[in-house]
Formats: sequence, C-alpha cells, structure tokens
Amino acid sequence: MYIIKTTFVLLLFVFKTIGIMAQGNICFKPMFGKEKLVLSKQYFISNSNNNIQIDVFKFYISNVEFYNNDQLLYKEKNSYHLIDAEDSTSFILPINFLSKTWFNLIKFNIGIDSITNYGGAMGGDLDPTKGMYWTWQNGYINFKLEGKSNLIGANNNEFTFHLGGYQNTFSTLQTLQFPVQYLSGIQINIAIDKWINEIDLSKQNHIMSPSKEAVILSNKLPAIFSISK
Amino acid sequence: MKFKTFVISFIIVFLFAFVSADKSLFTKPQNWPKPSYNFKKNPLTTSKILLGRVLFYDPILSRNNTVSCANCHSQYTAFTHIDHALSHGIDDRIGTRNSPALMNLAWHNTFMWDGAINHIDMQALAPISHHDEMDENIKHVVEKLQTSKIYPLLFYNAFNDSLITGEKTLKAISQFMLTLVSANSKYDKVKRNQDSFTVQEEKGYELFKQNCASCHTEPLFTNMQFQNNGLPFDSLLNDVGRKRITQNDKDFLKFKVPTLRNIEFSNPYMHDGRFKRIADVLKHYTNGIHNTKNLAIQLQKPILLTSNQKVDLTAFLLTLTDKEFLFNPKFGFPKEVLLNK
Repeated sequence: MYIIKTTFVLLLFVFKTIGIMAQGNICFKPMFGKEKLVLSKQYFISNSNNNIQIDVFKFYISNVEFYNNDQLLYKEKNSYHLIDAEDSTSFILPINFLSKTWFNLIKFNIGIDSITNYGGAMGGDLDPTKGMYWTWQNGYINFKLEGKSNLIGANNNEFTFHLGGYQNTFSTLQTLQFPVQYLSGIQINIAIDKWINEIDLSKQNHIMSPSKEAVILSNKLPAIFSISK
Repeated sequence: MKFKTFVISFIIVFLFAFVSADKSLFTKPQNWPKPSYNFKKNPLTTSKILLGRVLFYDPILSRNNTVSCANCHSQYTAFTHIDHALSHGIDDRIGTRNSPALMNLAWHNTFMWDGAINHIDMQALAPISHHDEMDENIKHVVEKLQTSKIYPLLFYNAFNDSLITGEKTLKAISQFMLTLVSANSKYDKVKRNQDSFTVQEEKGYELFKQNCASCHTEPLFTNMQFQNNGLPFDSLLNDVGRKRITQNDKDFLKFKVPTLRNIEFSNPYMHDGRFKRIADVLKHYTNGIHNTKNLAIQLQKPILLTSNQKVDLTAFLLTLTDKEFLFNPKFGFPKEVLLNK
C-alpha cells in the first residue's frame, strides 16, 4: 500500500514537473486565389485578363516561439527554416517539445534577424549555397518571388522581388503572431495573390537590394499569412 | 595514376599529422587590442588553415578556373594587386577599385573599401560572385570542390566529414585570412625595445603622430573608420564610396581608412589606386585636398610639411615594412598540395 501511494505521488510529481508533450506540426500552404500554388502555372490577376505565373517562391521563417497567453513556453533552438515552393517537404515545421501547459499562441519572424546577419558563416538552411544570400553587400534575402506577367513589357515579362535588408531604416524583418487552437496541426495559408494585388507590376517589378521599396513591400507580407480554421 | 593519387593522399595525411586546435596558431601581439573575431565560433586548427590556404591559392573558386584570390592579393605585395590602379579579374575584366591589402583582419568588423561586408567569413563571397572578379557562385564552387580529387580529403581532415558545404568553405578561407598577422616590422621591434629608430625615422615618427595618427591609428595604423580624405571625385568611375551601402548622403565619398603597414610594398595607393608612389600620397595631403562635402575633420586644417619633413616621414613609413610577413612561407602558395593536383 505504502509503495503504491509513493509511486502515485511520485508519478504525480513527475507529471507536474515534466508536463505535457506538444507534438505535431506547423504547415505552410502557399496559395494563389483559392488554389494551392503550382509553380509556373498561369493564373489571372484578381479577375482581370492579366496573367501571371510564379516560378520561384522561397522565404525564411525564423525564431519560432510558443506561448500560453503571455508566458513563453518554448523557443525553438537554431530556429531557421527556408520554405521553398519547389520542395513541399520544406512547408512542414515539426512541433516537438515538453511543456508545462498547452500553448495557445505562436510567434515567428518572416526573414532573418539582424544578429544572425552579423554572425558570419552558418550552415543548414542558412548556408549561402541556398541562394538566399547577397554577396556584393552581405546579408540574407528574406523573401524571394520571381515570375512572369504580361503586365511587364521589358525583360521577357519577368519580375524579380528579392526582399531583404537588416540595417536600421532598411530592416525588412517581420514578426507575426497567431492565436491557435492546438490540436495536432496548425495550417498557415499564404495568399500570394493578395500581395501581388498590392503592387502595380507594370511599374514595380525589380527589387534586388535593401531599399525603402523593399521595406514597404515587406511590411505588406504579414497580411497575407493567415491561420486556416 | 593510382600511384599519383596515393602520393597526394600520403602528403595530405602527413601534413595533418600535427592536427589539433592550437592556441599558438594565433597570438595577439603584445600591447595590441583584443581581436574582434570570435574564434570560439570557428576555432583555428592547422588542417582548417591549410584548407583555407589551398582555397585561397586555387583558381577553382572562379567560373573558368583561371583566377584565384592570390591573383589580386599577392603575398609579396602585402596581399594586394601590384602594378594595377584598378584590379582586374576573370577574362581581364577591370573592376572599379584597387584590391585592399590583407593583414590583421581579425581586428576588423567591416571589409571592403565601403564596408559592404560585415564579417570576414562572408567576405570571400563578394569576389567569388562579382562579375569582374571570379564570376562564379558558391553553390557551384561547392559542387566543383566535392568532385575534385583533393578537396574531399582536405575537408575530411579539417572537419571530420568529407561533405563540403558553403559554411565550411567560407570558414576555412577565413581561418587562413585570420592568420595573416603582420606585427614584426622595425616599428614593432622598436616598440618592443628590440631595435631603435634612426634619427630620421624618429623625426618621421613625431611628424606621423602629429599629422597622420588620428586616422592611421597605432598599432593597426587604421582607425577602421570611413572617411572622405579629400580626393577629387572621379566622374568616370562614379564611385560614391560608403554611400552605396548606407544610402546616406553623409557617407558620400567616404572610404575605409587603410592600414599603413607594409605601405612600401602595397602600392598603388587609394581606393582607386590613383597614386603610384608614397610621395604622391604625401603631396595629396599637403597640396591636393579637395574640400568636398563630408571632408574628414582631421583634414579641415591644412597639413604643412617641408620637403625635408616629407623625407623624414617617409623614412618612418618604411619602418612599417614587415619582411617576415611578406616572405613567410606559411602564407605562400601551398605547392605541396596544389602542384600535385
């Protein structure tokens, strides 16, 4: 009897200290309109006759954090994820940590923060061979969108948006937070068409360095991320 | 063929017989400030330094395997490009600047004439990717290295893993560059009481301290700042300097203050190599300052030097020559690896 009681108390103690195991994943889903994004497929821009195709879509997610209201429960270590439309396995970020309680809020950055940009050579998703790094002026490219549209006359109808920049007034890093109901998965939709609609492609179609324009366009990114309910 | 591969492997393995992280690989010279490089994140080892040195001298980093780092950074000229005002790279394409001399880089937080690069690890990416320099990209460099005869083994020896990545490649190159410490000039020996200045050098040193040291600060002989040193603007090159990076008008025509160490061998001078001789440089500072916007405060008041004083000052500047650095075989072409390739 005594042994059972002790074991019970001990188990209760262990359970209380260790808490619960949060497991599952965050899944990003790039969309165009109501459809899942397919690279190099022809779409129409907001019900007009103008067409568009996306050939490259990649961006960084970093500093993923899990909260219960204001209380930080878990901060992912080495939290850098390159999401690349070319590779659907990159859409999924696993969740796997021990927590005292359930989380009901997640926070993350779109892009790479300034400290990391000053940190020298790094590997994994941050390796400069991933093609998300500027070399003439060093720094990570936070967000890349390339494609074609008949709205653009020059350059074979091509557009190139490479958004990045980490210094003071040219900082393009975005922080997002979402209240979540944790089940086993969280799906975050990315409405690329919504971002395209904010741009006059005929006038603005090439950004490839830190600039005021890159900041303005980056500020429009959080609005295209939404939790799928 | 097989025998040749065996011999190369043997040589490489032999070279690594003494591998291990070693504090003697980098020593802070007496009375120097603490280096700003974080060695904990990339601890120096003999094998990594050798790998970096091989990469530094190997044209494999360029698009058509013709141009190495050493093409524009030759040891005997303090790791700069002698005889060319503007350095030329692949296919003899000419850039817009004179390649900077490389030494004592562990103390720097900004690189290039305009500070475009914030970390030495990332520095090599700039010349590798530049259209007029190596015109290559790091992803392709890594692919070439992985399929080469010598590199998988060199990387294995350095990182215990023959899988080559951009991170490892860059860290190895920066290890070699970090070892390029020049601190054994006559000036240094005088400071350590191992030698003494001549009367003329001593006079020159006093003139240096009065007129030059506020920007070319001892012991590194640079204050690491970006300054407009009163050069007339070259509208052909149209080089706006640091402003290209910050997009701030305050940085128009500002360039990083270069070190004066080994100045005897690092000609031509200035970001665009416009001056061939030390005498031309001194003439600029006494008679040639253009009072353009943003002129350095230190140059607002004219520098007055008689021709005798210029001779004395030059005599002092020549005491900054460090032959042990310029001719140290440790920094030279790694023929034991690259000639057998």
